Amino acid sequence: MKNKPIKRFKMALFKIPWVRQRWEEKFTPVTSEAIPWTPLTKPLARCTIALITTGGVHLKNDAPFNMDDKDGDPSYRTIPSTATKSDLMITHDYYDHTDADSDINLVLPIDILRACQEEGIVGRSSEFFYSLMGHIVLPHLPYLVEKTAKEIATALQGQGVDIVFLVPA
Amino acid sequence: MSTVGISLVRTITVAIKPPRTYFLRYPFGHALGEAGNRPQQTTIFKDCLNLLETARVPGIILESPYRWRGQRFA
Repeated sequence: MKNKPIKRFKMALFKIPWVRQRWEEKFTPVTSEAIPWTPLTKPLARCTIALITTGGVHLKNDAPFNMDDKDGDPSYRTIPSTATKSDLMITHDYYDHTDADSDINLVLPIDILRACQEEGIVGRSSEFFYSLMGHIVLPHLPYLVEKTAKEIATALQGQGVDIVFLVPA
Repeated sequence: MSTVGISLVRTITVAIKPPRTYFLRYPFGHALGEAGNRPQQTTIFKDCLNLLETARVPGIILESPYRWRGQRFA
């Protein structure tokens, strides 16, 4: 990681409430006119569920997200739903993931999901979960929307996914 | 596919208009709560599933009642 101390300092600043509030006020998000809506049509216990995180999680033996591009990395990583904490790591320079490094459930709740499945609250997992990094700005937005998002959606449909749980960084 | 998501920044969620959102005033990197706090993480996860099951209005943003610090979870 380039300029690691500076990036750590910047991330630490976000723990100060007014710094974060100022960032939120100045941030210009993509806007939508319509609200997508797919009703839930069967009990959760019979639903196939997928997890998606923007926390920069990936398999240790997979390529990390590109931290050299200041505009972010709009690609995605595929994570087998059978993966365990020891299989995973985080590459994401734009939030403090010290705690998530020690407990991946903060950004990809794999153990929490399994516990709920054992309780019979929700149905089986899809074969794969998906991960992105949540710092992607304008030059890469078309790629994110037109390629990455569509590929993930197609993959989820192919796995018969009924419900998707999205977790931010 | 029906979706539910966690948000840590309400203004962005309002602009993007996702179908069902569970909003928490938690720090970045802590969407499910504190490291190792299984009761907290499980409660938030189940709240989100409950929102998925009960939401009838597109664009709903449900504000979590849980504080970042000093909240007890069973």
